[in-house]
Amino acid sequence: MAGAGPGRSVDYALTLLRRLPRITLGNLKGNKEQKKKHNYSRGQDGGSDRGYPEQAKKGSQPPLGFAGGSNPYYTRHPVEWYYRGHELRRQYPPYSLFSLQRNIDMGIIDPAYPIDLVQLCNTKLYHIDPLQRHFGVNLTEEGMHMFKAKINLEVQWTTESVIAAVERNGGTITLAYFDPACLNAMHDTRSFFARGVPIPRRALPPENCLELYSNPKMRGYLADPAAVSLARVELAQKFGYNLPDVTKDPDYEMLIKRKDPRQCFYDLEPGWVVNLKDRTILKPADEVIRQYYRS
Amino acid sequence: MIIRPVLLKEPSPKVMMHKTGTLLRTVFSRSWLAESIRKPALLPCAGTISRYTASSSSNSALITDRQLLYPPKYNTPREAWVETLGTLEGRKVGLIPLHPDIFAEFPRIDVIHENVKWQKLYQHVDYAHQRTRAEMPGGGRKPWPQKKTGRARHGSIRSPLFKGGGAAKGPRGPKSFFYMLDLQNRAKGLKCTLSAKFAQDDLHIVDSFESLSSPESQFLEALAAKRNWGLSVLFVDDTDFMAKNIALACRGLPSFTLMPVYGLNCFSMLKHETVVLTTRAVDKIEERLKRVDNLLRQNDPRHAR
Repeated sequence: MAGAGPGRSVDYALTLLRRLPRITLGNLKGNKEQKKKHNYSRGQDGGSDRGYPEQAKKGSQPPLGFAGGSNPYYTRHPVEWYYRGHELRRQYPPYSLFSLQRNIDMGIIDPAYPIDLVQLCNTKLYHIDPLQRHFGVNLTEEGMHMFKAKINLEVQWTTESVIAAVERNGGTITLAYFDPACLNAMHDTRSFFARGVPIPRRALPPENCLELYSNPKMRGYLADPAAVSLARVELAQKFGYNLPDVTKDPDYEMLIKRKDPRQCFYDLEPGWVVNLKDRTILKPADEVIRQYYRS
Repeated sequence: MIIRPVLLKEPSPKVMMHKTGTLLRTVFSRSWLAESIRKPALLPCAGTISRYTASSSSNSALITDRQLLYPPKYNTPREAWVETLGTLEGRKVGLIPLHPDIFAEFPRIDVIHENVKWQKLYQHVDYAHQRTRAEMPGGGRKPWPQKKTGRARHGSIRSPLFKGGGAAKGPRGPKSFFYMLDLQNRAKGLKCTLSAKFAQDDLHIVDSFESLSSPESQFLEALAAKRNWGLSVLFVDDTDFMAKNIALACRGLPSFTLMPVYGLNCFSMLKHETVVLTTRAVDKIEERLKRVDNLLRQNDPRHAR
């Protein structure tokens, strides 16, 4: 082969040609033809001046950025409906089982207590922003096979596989809805309590997700507890694992601890005010207020 | 415009190449290589292989050394086997260097395409023709009065609007598509095609066509099949007086063509699956193409001293 210099690209091309089909009259192809020059319009009408090189000299060019035509810009392009209502949809920032297991292993999350959105946000390793229509955590399947913790979990969105991964280890999981006012209190508890406002009363889920949050198969928090127990067994049979008996578990009390459908913090009721400075809790005494916050 | 192939003056044991004669007169008459006919003094001495070490009398000697007329300055020569047509399988009778500027040129497909397009076009004549209203017979009389008939006004039955009228802007043949591709691209096309053929193993070199042992077409066909030369072969020698056996063998094979070097062209090389050159043809091709290179180089103002 030729040495250094101009021969190298030639060698490459000819080597490439060896593996290609034979060059014949049928597969020849030239370079792209040069673009045809602009034909000047002739005759009585003479065409328009637009697009001629002279036009720039004449100064009859429309100003830069000018969009002519009688069709307004916003009706010119077809609508892309697949983004319709995107600003109204609920968003669930993901969090993986792998991260959860890792944070438990590192001692950042304590599995001896129920784990909910408050616990996750308090790690400062997971963030949601209720102003961006984040409605809680989406627990994903990543790390599902190495998940070993026995926990009482409360998330806002998940899949069947994740539920199976949690329950296989003897844990429990709940799918719970929180309205933006509660999320605002839960995602940053310190600044919320510092404001000195009462803990909000948790709203019921909106119509389009009511079915999800009352579905025992998804461990909805509004589902019938008996139906949930049955669904736990069904899921164990579907995925083929032995469901540990929670009732005989030493942490039984912790594992079955649930929030009230109107409650957003464990052990704190709506209407209460937490005074961080005096480290006290103020409870409403007025009967009207108590009636309002009642479940 | 028509250049007839050179005829042999004195009687010769070799037969005239007659098959491609027609092709030569039409397709290759404009080729720059056709000029070689007019300059016989500059041709290397035909019928001798003095530039090779082996002599034609001894079959055992290998052809290994070949002096390039214009040795390359920067690139190393390519090497090619020299075969012989004596037997079906063929015997390697040598290994010769090939000039890299001609047999290892960058395979510019677009230049090859330009050459083929030129070859198709320069002999193309469009005979399509339509008469205008002026050339049609009749039509001088106004078909009906201008007014008061209730019909559209017309002045001639040969107007383009009329059925059977003249054509407006119809084809006005015969129209010639003749043009000349520049010398540089013609030479480059040949080099690219030779290089591509060589790179794809579709170019073979034989000692001479006289080594073909049989005048039978079947033998040549079997030989080409045995050596995987494909269905069509272009045999190129330095002269247009071909050896008797190969001329007789090719006469019965429409896809086997004989051609002298001055008729060598891109179209024919691509039309045939395999190109077979004699060593003398290689000498002549290299000499011609390198001479064109030098000529272009001399005329190029970039190389002016």
